Amino acid sequence: MAGVWILADNRDRTLELLNVAAGLAEKLDTKVAAFLWNDSQLAEDYIAHGADEVLILPSLEEDQPLEAYIPTIVEEALRQDPDIFLVAATARGKEMAARIAGRLNTGLCSGCTALQFDETGKKLIMERLVFGGAAVQTVTCLTRPQMATIAPRTFAPAVPLGDRTGQVRELAAGLPGLVRIVDRKPKAKQSGDVSDAKVLICVGRGLEKEEDLALVRELANVLGGELACTRPIAEELHWLPEETYIGLSGQKVKPDIYIGVGISGQIQHVTGIRDARLICAINRDENAAIFEVSDYGIVGDLYSVLPELTREFKRALGAGKE
Amino acid sequence: MLRIITCFKWVIDQADIKTSPGSRELLLDRASYRISDYDRFAIEEAVSLQEQHGGSTAAITVGSPAARKSLKDVLSRGPEKAYFVNDPSFDTLEPSQTASILASAIRSQLEYDLIICGEGSGDLYAQQVGPRLAEALNIPMTTCVSKLTVYGTQIIAERKLDDGIEVVAIPLPALVTVLPEINTPRIPGLKDTLAASKKPVVDIKATDLGQSFEPCLQTITILASSMERNGVKFSADGADIRKFVEVILKTGNIS
Ligand SMILES: Cc1cc2nc3c(=O)[nH]c(=O)nc-3n(C[C@H](O)[C@H](O)[C@H](O)COP(=O)(O)OP(=O)(O)OC[C@H]3O[C@@H](n4cnc5c(N)ncnc54)[C@H](O)[C@@H]3O)c2cc1C
Repeated sequence: MAGVWILADNRDRTLELLNVAAGLAEKLDTKVAAFLWNDSQLAEDYIAHGADEVLILPSLEEDQPLEAYIPTIVEEALRQDPDIFLVAATARGKEMAARIAGRLNTGLCSGCTALQFDETGKKLIMERLVFGGAAVQTVTCLTRPQMATIAPRTFAPAVPLGDRTGQVRELAAGLPGLVRIVDRKPKAKQSGDVSDAKVLICVGRGLEKEEDLALVRELANVLGGELACTRPIAEELHWLPEETYIGLSGQKVKPDIYIGVGISGQIQHVTGIRDARLICAINRDENAAIFEVSDYGIVGDLYSVLPELTREFKRALGAGKE
Repeated sequence: MLRIITCFKWVIDQADIKTSPGSRELLLDRASYRISDYDRFAIEEAVSLQEQHGGSTAAITVGSPAARKSLKDVLSRGPEKAYFVNDPSFDTLEPSQTASILASAIRSQLEYDLIICGEGSGDLYAQQVGPRLAEALNIPMTTCVSKLTVYGTQIIAERKLDDGIEVVAIPLPALVTVLPEINTPRIPGLKDTLAASKKPVVDIKATDLGQSFEPCLQTITILASSMERNGVKFSADGADIRKFVEVILKTGNIS
């Protein structure tokens, strides 16, 4: 037996992995299997998007975290011997993948950002960022299955392929694990989502006071964009929600336009915007590192630049609409 | 009595990474090393739990002999004993090897109730060693811990996940990996540094472990990531700001 397996926390991530998995399965002349739990309704959906087989994990006891599926998944992997096993690099996905790889005694490329298939060696050539984003490591897996966790939104979601059929198979329940959930505090959904925004206005510590966010918000409104920030703004000053900070330990984003305001451009931040189409920056220090990774920059004090910039954008956009 | 092990890695200081002019090759020869930032939170958590509950804290690292410099540093942060698993071949380990070596050393030499690791290393940041180590030792574990409390023979850990907080109870012995927000590591003073020189270090050689550790993952290259962009700069005067707006609207797909 063989196959390309995928495991992801939710539908969006699953569709992204289905997209890559389908291409790989074709090259290996094998099938795509996707794991699913809770919502067996999605099985047909996954099949329509490229899965040949959907492996349904049995429902868990109330106090069991998703990681309790690890023994069941490992057992199935030992039986089926997949060629490739891709896992979404969410917080849980990363833990599950590392533990599964540990039990299967196989290699895992963590946080894979790009991959190619080497036809001769039947190997994945995988890239990942190291040294806080300053360098790219290219790795290959020497053992089976070849495993990788894939950062959210690295690949576009699969599109429905019309008339497809596939198998749905339920796996047997395992024993409950020793880790028990005693409480859950779901995060309240916030309105704007920086990860999908086309235009991002991102603020850093160059902003002096929380009230001054209004200046930035005005520019965002004119451009129809969302507000984002650097880590200190969210984690130390708490001026914006944690989900809105960008970088290595925050969100990775791919907007059409990123405008960084009062941001120095440390590698840990900049790593999160490397895929932006256009990077712009406003900083009063002409030697700020952010300018080295920007397409267009304005050297100046944000307190005088922002109001004028907002006014100019408003005028230009208004004129275009007339 | 709570016996804690904290694992740490001696990594290249990112600030010292240079690239050779005109190429993507990394120049690391002159780089200095430091205890991985993420591991400092693990060390602090171990030491502060010991202060609350008594018991002991041991620090362990796997590395090449050059990593010996890390021992005094780690001991100045509070652990009372350091274990140094070293071999010249241990400078390019991939995560599955590091985890197996740690597991082998811990099984043969250390007793423990709780193992605390950082969320990932400051250099490779693969986030695998903690989870793999727990599997190798066959103990329960959890990751992304932002708050940790010990109650007798179990721990309560708050995990910060993508969709909210999950609080879990785990019986000891167990392993956790902790996030930076869990604490603020203290900065060692002169007294701590002096005390560190007197603390015991246990040397463990590869040959003491009586097995070999084959890699599962092979690195083909590590190259500087290029982020080259246009790099056009405008001044803050009115005419320049208008030009800036023009190019952004033209190239940026805004309507
Ligand atoms: C392990 C690790 C992980 C990290 N992960 C992240 C991450 O995911 N995301 C992240 O953002 N950071 C992260 N960081 C922190 C990162 O290294 C930087 O400290 C942070 O990004 C700096 O934020 P900043 O640019 O807002 O502030 P600063 O570095 O303080 O820069 C402020 C800038 O504003 C400019 N400025 C000041 N006043 C004005 C003015 N009036 N007008 C115009 N410009 C002005 C200054 O010239 C300066 O360049 C991480 C750090 C570590 C060690």
